Amino acid sequence: MIYPLLLLAVVATQDTSAGKQVYTKWCAGCHGVDGKGDGEGARHMIPPPRDFTGNALYQIRSTPSGQLPTDADLLRSIDEGLPGTAMPAWKTRLSDRQRRDVLAYIKTFSPYFADTTQRPQPVVFGSAPGGGSVADALRVGRQFYDSIGCRKCHGDLGRGDGPSAPTLKDDAGHPIFAADLHENWRFNGGGTAEDIYHRLRTGLDGTPMPSFSDLIEQKFLTDEQLWRVAQYVRSLSPKEPPAVRDVIHAPLVTKALPHAPDDSAWTSVDGYWFPLVGQVIRKERWFAPAVTGVWVKAVHTADSIALRVVWDDRSQSPDTAWLAHVGRVLNTLDSDDSTREQPAPWPDQLAVQFPVAIPSGMERPYFLMGSPGAPVYQWRWSSSSRTAAVAGLARGIDRFDPQAGSGPGVRVVYDHGQWRLTFTRALASADTASQLPFRTGRAIPVAFFAWDGSNGEHGTRMAISTWYFLALDEPVPARVFISPVLAMVLTLGLGMLVVWRAQQKTSYRRQQ
Amino acid sequence: MRAYLKHPFWQAVLLLVLAYLVIVFVIPVLPGSAMVPKSVVLQYMATVLVGILIWVSDDEARWTLFKEPLHEVLIQPRLKAVRTALLAVVTLMVGCLTYSQVKASVAAPPNLRSIHPAPPSQITFRGKTIALVGLENPLRRSGDMAAHLAEGRRIYYQNCVPCHGDHLDGQGHFASGFNPLPANFQDNGTIAQLTESFVFWRVAKGGPGLPREGTPWNSAMPAWEEFLTEDEIWSVVLFLYDQTGWKPRTWEVSAEGSK
Repeated sequence: MIYPLLLLAVVATQDTSAGKQVYTKWCAGCHGVDGKGDGEGARHMIPPPRDFTGNALYQIRSTPSGQLPTDADLLRSIDEGLPGTAMPAWKTRLSDRQRRDVLAYIKTFSPYFADTTQRPQPVVFGSAPGGGSVADALRVGRQFYDSIGCRKCHGDLGRGDGPSAPTLKDDAGHPIFAADLHENWRFNGGGTAEDIYHRLRTGLDGTPMPSFSDLIEQKFLTDEQLWRVAQYVRSLSPKEPPAVRDVIHAPLVTKALPHAPDDSAWTSVDGYWFPLVGQVIRKERWFAPAVTGVWVKAVHTADSIALRVVWDDRSQSPDTAWLAHVGRVLNTLDSDDSTREQPAPWPDQLAVQFPVAIPSGMERPYFLMGSPGAPVYQWRWSSSSRTAAVAGLARGIDRFDPQAGSGPGVRVVYDHGQWRLTFTRALASADTASQLPFRTGRAIPVAFFAWDGSNGEHGTRMAISTWYFLALDEPVPARVFISPVLAMVLTLGLGMLVVWRAQQKTSYRRQQ
Repeated sequence: MRAYLKHPFWQAVLLLVLAYLVIVFVIPVLPGSAMVPKSVVLQYMATVLVGILIWVSDDEARWTLFKEPLHEVLIQPRLKAVRTALLAVVTLMVGCLTYSQVKASVAAPPNLRSIHPAPPSQITFRGKTIALVGLENPLRRSGDMAAHLAEGRRIYYQNCVPCHGDHLDGQGHFASGFNPLPANFQDNGTIAQLTESFVFWRVAKGGPGLPREGTPWNSAMPAWEEFLTEDEIWSVVLFLYDQTGWKPRTWEVSAEGSK
């Protein structure tokens, strides 16, 4: 209680000219000199920067829906940033003094903060209810996830693919995605069960995400049951945000190659996560990619490889239901091309890229789809011809030469906001000059590209990765065990010798 | 307990454990430091061990006392179980260590990259030849500085923020998708070390314009001549120095430095 009061006292005594200086230097580039969220960078990001003027609508609050945030709320957004957006955490970048100064200055943009008689009052949040089994808690959470309508936007399995998802926009008309609840590290207000509970109680003002506090008042559900919803939502994401590991290890399998993405053989294979980001390197650039990353698994047999790529995508494109959303996305962003493109039902696409031959040294083709002189070998799949993939050579971002009849095998499933796809191919290739022959025991460069057609992505507008590696692991040869056994025998022998010597010496002394 | 703490052997063990904890857990949380790599931990621990051995062997009585528990374990009939367990554990550890050393596992190949490769003496910018040697930022001597900086700021926020970040520290919201990571202009090892002509070259030609030792195939830096004019690049270079407070290296200083 004392801390927020102290903070208020400190803020009240701030001189806003110091805050203005910090704001102009570090914040105005996105939020605009006048705080309207219209800085120079604003039209290159979705969600766009916060508009501090007018109603002073803030998503991340501890106060009831429709109320102003507290100073502590605003300071938290400045300190921690908003994950999943372009807003970074300023805690380590600006001093305590600077952050408080800028907070005081931001409040001057809206007249609502000037009325100090109406101090925003935080909701009194309880702590998570204890007792009961985890399974029971999650079952209750799931039950109310359905009954309070989460699935309408967030979808049946929480991947942001609900029936209302294509219609969502914020109060200013900007496009907005229902959060993919499987990626809690991208939740704007933080990813813990407590954070989620707070958002459920307060809503995200200015967005379609409502507050559920009124349902508690109407006795539709209890506070405890709302906590269970938060815990259920938290349980959809991994315990820790996925860490990037450079090398995909593809074990050797002795059974049949798993051709289907949902083959049970995949469950025992290690999965690797790779982040994808906007293609902001060549014209036309893309600043708002929808696919945030891919999960990859791979196995091989003596003669073939299977590569499984799984990624979340809210829409099974092409889908005309999303056309209005595409229009909003294209309207919100500035494009490199002055002629604004009309929305069209574009398909979803995926490309997996390898060099044409496994490099012997460090040198590789250019990671962004090669170059005219050093092409890359790619597998490309599109949702418009779901059961066929093509192989070919890319010679730069705008040139792909397909090789007729040599595409890898492909099987794909779209399931509740997620594509799951397997590519299969023989390790050897008929044409080694233009199709990578896979070899075991080598680090094979690999990169991934994804397009969400219902987010306006096609051509150079896509999500990209940098080079990573794929290794087809060989079985451990027996000779590997020789040196450890030898080392153990030697160590044990030496140890016993030392013991024996020490005991000999002692008994010798005793005899004397 | 107190008797143990006074015994040099247990003191040595305690010191070793403390040193390990400090190196692995305390050093990374100190401001401005990072995780200590495993090989360096090993070196530090070896140094600590040598120090401890020098200290215990410095005094004859202490040395005898120090050796006592070790000797006891080797000869005492009542410590036979400890002795056997120690032998087994050490043997197993050596076995595991050797196995992890000889087991073949494919790792990402080492990426040997020259971060500031030597610039060419001249470049061709949109068909125009620009000599880099001795080149100064022309905007510093013409026009209105405030206008140049405003222009540089606009260009930075419209183009550079996704990777290099609002704080110019290379931690934009797309940064994690790239390797090598975008340059951190706040760090004293990037623009603070360079002339403006070098920065102009890097901006204009980007990753694809790097010489081989700069691993041009990995860098996500666009060749900005596709997007920006000469003056636009010079103005964003001005902005980088103004916003971070670094001063560019000048040709006079580097000429003196090379003498």
